[in-house]
Amino acid sequence: MSSLTGARRSLGGPIVRVAVALSLAFATLAIAVGYWGVVRAPELTRSPYDAAVIAASRSVPRGRILDRTGKVLARNKKDANGELYRVYAGPAISPVVGYASPRYGRAGLERAYDAELSGLAGDPLRDPFRKFGSDPYDPKDLTLSLSFDLQRAAARALGDQRGAVVMLDPRTGEILALVSNPSFDANAVTDPTTAQKAFKALLADPSEPLLPRATLGRYVPGSVFKIVTAIAGLGSGAVTPKTTYPEQPGAEKDGLVVDGYTIHDGHHPETGSRALGLVGATEVSCNIWYSLTGLATGGDALTEYARRMGFDAPLPFDLPTAVSQVTGGGGAAPGGFQDDVELANAAYGQGETFVTPLQMALVAATIADHGTLMKPHLVTAMTGDNGTRTLGPERMANVISAADAQAITVAMQQAVEGKLGGQFTTGAKVPGVPTAGKSGTAELGGTGEPHSWFIGFAPADAPTIAIAVLVEKGGRGAEAAAPIAGDLMTRYLKMDLP
Amino acid sequence: MTVGTTPVRSVGSAQRGRAGSFGPIRPHWRWVEMRLLLIAALALVVGSISLSGALTGGLTLYDAQTLLTYLAALAAGHVALVLAGRRADQILLPVMGLLGGISLLLMQRLPQDLVTQHWFDMSVGLAQVQLVWLVLGITITSILGIVVRSDSWLRRYKYTWAAAGVGLLLLTFVLGAEVNGQRLTLQVGPFSGQPSEFLKVILVVFLAGYLSENRSLLMEQDTRLGPLRLPPFPYLAPMVVMWAIALGIVVIQRDLGAALLFFGVFLAMVYVATGRVSLVVIGLVLFVLGSLLMANLFDHVRQRIDVWLDPFADPLGAGYQVVQGLHAFARGGLFGTGLGAGLPTIGGRIPIPEVHTDFPLAALGEELGIIGILAILGLYLVLVERGLRIGAAAADDFRALLAVGLALVVGIQAFIIAAGNLKVLPLTGVTLPFISYGGSSILANSIVVGLLLALSDKGVEPPPRPSSGGRWQRLRQRDSI
Repeated sequence: MSSLTGARRSLGGPIVRVAVALSLAFATLAIAVGYWGVVRAPELTRSPYDAAVIAASRSVPRGRILDRTGKVLARNKKDANGELYRVYAGPAISPVVGYASPRYGRAGLERAYDAELSGLAGDPLRDPFRKFGSDPYDPKDLTLSLSFDLQRAAARALGDQRGAVVMLDPRTGEILALVSNPSFDANAVTDPTTAQKAFKALLADPSEPLLPRATLGRYVPGSVFKIVTAIAGLGSGAVTPKTTYPEQPGAEKDGLVVDGYTIHDGHHPETGSRALGLVGATEVSCNIWYSLTGLATGGDALTEYARRMGFDAPLPFDLPTAVSQVTGGGGAAPGGFQDDVELANAAYGQGETFVTPLQMALVAATIADHGTLMKPHLVTAMTGDNGTRTLGPERMANVISAADAQAITVAMQQAVEGKLGGQFTTGAKVPGVPTAGKSGTAELGGTGEPHSWFIGFAPADAPTIAIAVLVEKGGRGAEAAAPIAGDLMTRYLKMDLP
Repeated sequence: MTVGTTPVRSVGSAQRGRAGSFGPIRPHWRWVEMRLLLIAALALVVGSISLSGALTGGLTLYDAQTLLTYLAALAAGHVALVLAGRRADQILLPVMGLLGGISLLLMQRLPQDLVTQHWFDMSVGLAQVQLVWLVLGITITSILGIVVRSDSWLRRYKYTWAAAGVGLLLLTFVLGAEVNGQRLTLQVGPFSGQPSEFLKVILVVFLAGYLSENRSLLMEQDTRLGPLRLPPFPYLAPMVVMWAIALGIVVIQRDLGAALLFFGVFLAMVYVATGRVSLVVIGLVLFVLGSLLMANLFDHVRQRIDVWLDPFADPLGAGYQVVQGLHAFARGGLFGTGLGAGLPTIGGRIPIPEVHTDFPLAALGEELGIIGILAILGLYLVLVERGLRIGAAAADDFRALLAVGLALVVGIQAFIIAAGNLKVLPLTGVTLPFISYGGSSILANSIVVGLLLALSDKGVEPPPRPSSGGRWQRLRQRDSI
């Protein structure tokens, strides 16, 4: 490599350096192959855009989907040409299970668990030789925590009203019902003979039946958000259950002035000049007390405690969820609020606050499970060739202390069972069982009917069921949502579910 | 410093060679090459059996005639080199042979109707057409390795070559057929080809001539540009012209890959000739400025860059091809699925569009896995290393720069398209040397290896000297692999 003719300068040095440079360039390629083939492989090979996932969806029988009692919610059927298509148990489950159609793609759990249902999801690192087997597909049957009977009862309870019902076991986070109304007939979408017409009609339907309202609908919460304010107030130590505000009774008449903006209260003349504490304020749903509590708690603590329960991010859940927010954010005040006026309004659920029904069910579940929030989940087991893998309960967050949760439980029980509370929350009471809850009437501005809300749980002393009910434009909370919640909790507690 | 000296040694060897070829045949055994070819053949036979197992279930050679024809061509090339008695490099042919064989297996595995050619009355599919090009390529490589004895035809007429190259380019601008929005293909009568593949060889020949002649001048430093010390300004002109041509290719032909390749090879050769980093830095700055300009002016360039930055933003639209390629690597994982067992079809089609020309590496990544890709990348590095070694050992500047340029043109091209497949660089439409489907690509790269073989030649072995036989002679021989 040294110079052969003494006269010229050798090219050897630069050649070696070029060789090193090119080798480094090729080393980057080697790293990139490893990145895509190992690091990103688990995610990419499960993606619904993966060619193998798509191809398998056409040729391999998908796994079945079962409810908690073993009832089949989704199975396969052969069409006239011998090709497989999906058959579902009924429209009540469509917003949860979704559909899998070679023509219109996948939605719901059929989409979220596509790789598992079509049998492709092996871990390429733990099981690198699976693909060499004679049958590389291992479709999994999914078992859900859902109860088909409860789901159908909840859908029937909503009737032709638009809205959502979420029921879960607060001790485990297992979802028992996840209803959105109006729903749609997924069978019509997957049946090759009706698919085209049905899907077109669904897309054109102004009531948006394809929108799963329980998980992706965002609504003004109104007074049910007061439970979040109570959690933040007690949790941060800003207030105690005994905290009263001397200006509160007077403000009932003329409104509470915050920075020049007047907050009016709902109508509760019965309390007169008595200064209310947590229990009294919750029983009559006192906006003034909760505004003052929100201001005392501060924007930072309010958003922080909301975040612990899943606000400001998609929920860790089997299905995609919309993000619930306490405030639109971006403001100069603590917590991203614009000012104290927004904070005071948010404290009783009328600021820039938007929530999903699932999120509000988690708020109720937090109180029901003594301040601890379990991660909500739908799929409890996956059964394939290699046996069953169970997905057990997981803790999502410790939100507040059991003592604080107990104080709020007392207030919520009073809201359902108290002399005054009963007038606001008619019909939520489970006969013979201590019941806790909070109704909400979400003003939308303008002249339209407000959204009707209820969140609650039962039995109040040892809760086994938490619920959130939303009826779009259903009027006052007591009128539409509360009776539905009472009926469904009653029905659940009478059922003998595994 | 001598400029443009007559290459004493090459002329000498040419005369010796000529004398040898007219005399009795004196074979020079190429044991290393033979052993490596046997290993390559073994790998290809195993690959073919595995392909057969995946596609037909039987453990025989898959379409034995095709593979055997290819192996016979390799053997014939080897025998021809042996009989010619030249002491040329023994690694190049096996590496090229293995890459070509992998290509053949891949083309056999892909749907044959990706390409249909009508020759005479026959309708010929993908693998058969590729086989013809590969055999032609081996023939060209062997012939060039045996016949080329003098480099004066390259050295002396460099401006003629350059003119021919520019002519070819202009012809493509004017007559080129537009395929997928790119004006890359030149159709003359029944023949069509991609001139840029041959242009890259011409470019290397011209640059080797120009740089070896003006090397000393380019190494002077009499222009200052801020902290940079530059060669005399007139000698920078070709650099600027080169830059303009590269941009012209992007603008008129819409061929980002060729522009990147030409400019990359140009910078590397300028660096090797002058040893001056400042020139490379200026070149890179110009290139980045040019790229930014292009991205702002032309939608197709900007779209390529957007897709590169986030192909998953539009996985069913603009990003489809890249995303499907990445998915193929992911499905392959560490060991791959095995030849013929990957690439799931959707409605009878392979999921990656243009897999045989633009994305063969992704297909191989799925079926041979990371291990297979590392082996293929290694083969390219070996090829480049041999070329650079030949350049470093060359007798004069022209031969050295020619060998270095030829080696780099293959290495950089392989890098550009592999990087495009792996989302390391934006995707461009250059071919993967010896593996992508396509006559122009295979023939041009075969010419490159043929010229490298010729440049590596140490001439016909001199008759054994009676005094110095034995062990020393054998060691020398071994050293001259």
